[in-house]
Amino acid sequence: MSVLEAHDLSIRFGGVQANLDVSIAVGELEIVGVIGPNGAGKTTLFNMITGFYTPDSGRIVYRDTEITGMAVHERAALGLARTFQNVGLVKGATVRDNLVTAQYLQADYGTLSGMLGSRHSRAGERQLRARADTLADMLGLGDLLDTQVAGLPYGTLKRVEIATVLATDPEVLLLDEPSSGMGPEEAHQLGDTLLTLRDEFELSIVMIEHHVPLVVRVCDYVYCLDFGQMLTHGLPHDVRSHPQVVAAYLGEDPEPEVLALEAQLESLVETD
Amino acid sequence: MVPATVEPAATAGRHRPSAAGWGLRGVVWAALAYLVLVFPLGRPATTVILYTTAVCYGIVALSLNVLLGYVGQISLGHQAFVGVGAFTSAYVVTEQGQSFWVGVLAAAAIGGGQALVLGGVSLRVRGLYFALITLSYGLVAQDNIFQIERLTGGGAGQPAPKPQGFETEWRYYYLCVGFLAVVLYLDWRMMRSKSGRALLALRENPRVAATFGINVRLATLFAFVVSGVFAGLGGALIAHNDTFVSPDPWNFNLALVFVIMTVVGGLRSRPGLVIGGAFFALLPYLIEQIPGFDSLLEAIPAPRDLSPLIAPLVIGPLLLIVNLIRFPGGIGQQLRPITRWLAGHRFDLHDRGLKEVQITDVRA
Repeated sequence: MSVLEAHDLSIRFGGVQANLDVSIAVGELEIVGVIGPNGAGKTTLFNMITGFYTPDSGRIVYRDTEITGMAVHERAALGLARTFQNVGLVKGATVRDNLVTAQYLQADYGTLSGMLGSRHSRAGERQLRARADTLADMLGLGDLLDTQVAGLPYGTLKRVEIATVLATDPEVLLLDEPSSGMGPEEAHQLGDTLLTLRDEFELSIVMIEHHVPLVVRVCDYVYCLDFGQMLTHGLPHDVRSHPQVVAAYLGEDPEPEVLALEAQLESLVETD
Repeated sequence: MVPATVEPAATAGRHRPSAAGWGLRGVVWAALAYLVLVFPLGRPATTVILYTTAVCYGIVALSLNVLLGYVGQISLGHQAFVGVGAFTSAYVVTEQGQSFWVGVLAAAAIGGGQALVLGGVSLRVRGLYFALITLSYGLVAQDNIFQIERLTGGGAGQPAPKPQGFETEWRYYYLCVGFLAVVLYLDWRMMRSKSGRALLALRENPRVAATFGINVRLATLFAFVVSGVFAGLGGALIAHNDTFVSPDPWNFNLALVFVIMTVVGGLRSRPGLVIGGAFFALLPYLIEQIPGFDSLLEAIPAPRDLSPLIAPLVIGPLLLIVNLIRFPGGIGQQLRPITRWLAGHRFDLHDRGLKEVQITDVRA
């Protein structure tokens, strides 16, 4: 039984068909990888699932509810959380403030109560801060709680970002290139972290990822996009060795005509 | 997980001042309390009216800061928001025969209500376009709404008597200081609750705020309403301080002064905003105190009926330029080492705050 399903999503930006009939399904407690070369439409798919783009056609279903037309914050309230390729954090604030801000929906007091500083709202604030501390400790960020986010190294930012999306109390986590900016060692540890978090928070995870060893190790299922279309999908090992996937990543041998054209161009440059 | 490779913040572990440290802070606090609470007692009534205006401008600066500082939207029609409060309270008290308290409540409510309506329509757009809409609203209000004789008394104006028990200038001054304290408290609590944090998050990155479950448009509208309530309250207090309200002062010049004093005071810095507001309220008066200023005025072939706001409108932009180039956090940021010290932290001359204001803050 799937937690999240996307059916035949298509979206076009001007002359570019960014996604064409893309379908994915994410099962309970599954980790699903989305791979593909740059510009394949992976982030576009995320943007449609999380509500930043409205697909031209297709449906998105979350736990039997159609969410295709819902606003971003409504989907967040349902338990859909995401990270961003370029780190989605409030950079001017501290790590703690980010973790507390992300718990916007968990705050159990009203706006007016908060403005008047009622006892109830203060107690609620203490709870949020305590949970921020717990999450920071879990991700090894305990020492950085009072540090401003802007200025932290990229790899650390990625961890802070994962902590903040966990703070939103998600059921499905969409991670956009979580290992970017990390070395192989760090990426390996990220894999462990993701597996632990999946079990501890009972998450389903969808991740866009370029680091193939990480994908193969943690993902239960992999989708490969190319030029906005689904190239193939299946178990990680099968997808990795799929000839079309290899071709899409490494590039096919250029056609003879292209080679001829290139030669012509070079000769032109030389005669100039 | 990878051990953190970054140095933790230097301010880990709260600083505990010594007894002497507290004593010294106490002296400064006492001096400030003296300046605000005792000093006006010995001043003539006409001067105390000025001080009260200064306090009210502090409230207006805090009002504008909610928009400009917290959500990064600029209102160029804030004179209308404040003016509506002034006229509402004068109308309720003079025409309806209600008490000052009802008038102030009505002013705050109408102030919030107009923001709700205007924001509900216009907050679909942001930045420069939002500024344009508020600008148009301000002009429509000053030229049309404020001229409706049945509501505002038209050109003749409307009396706005001081409240019972606060008839003297001094008592009314303390009343306004009390209102300022209430606004400061509400602002402080708001920024320490989920609503305030939502505003800061959406100013910096609306997309991230939305993924945190924040309804960006609703939160922005909320900020606009809070700003409107504060503005309405400030307007009502100004009206009863002048004991009279006429449409003339509520023009675009005033809106400009409001924006300038907010930015120069320092976005997101409560002490800076209050000081900025007070400074610009007192500026026309302070200018006159400069020896030889009168003869200088005589010497220049300018029309005799200069705008009363000429000083703020000349000095303000100059300060704004210095501000934006050298001290984007305004007065508040410059005072931060002192204000932090007063709050019991270690004195750190280089402390300019985490949420350092940047010029890009005002995205208009």
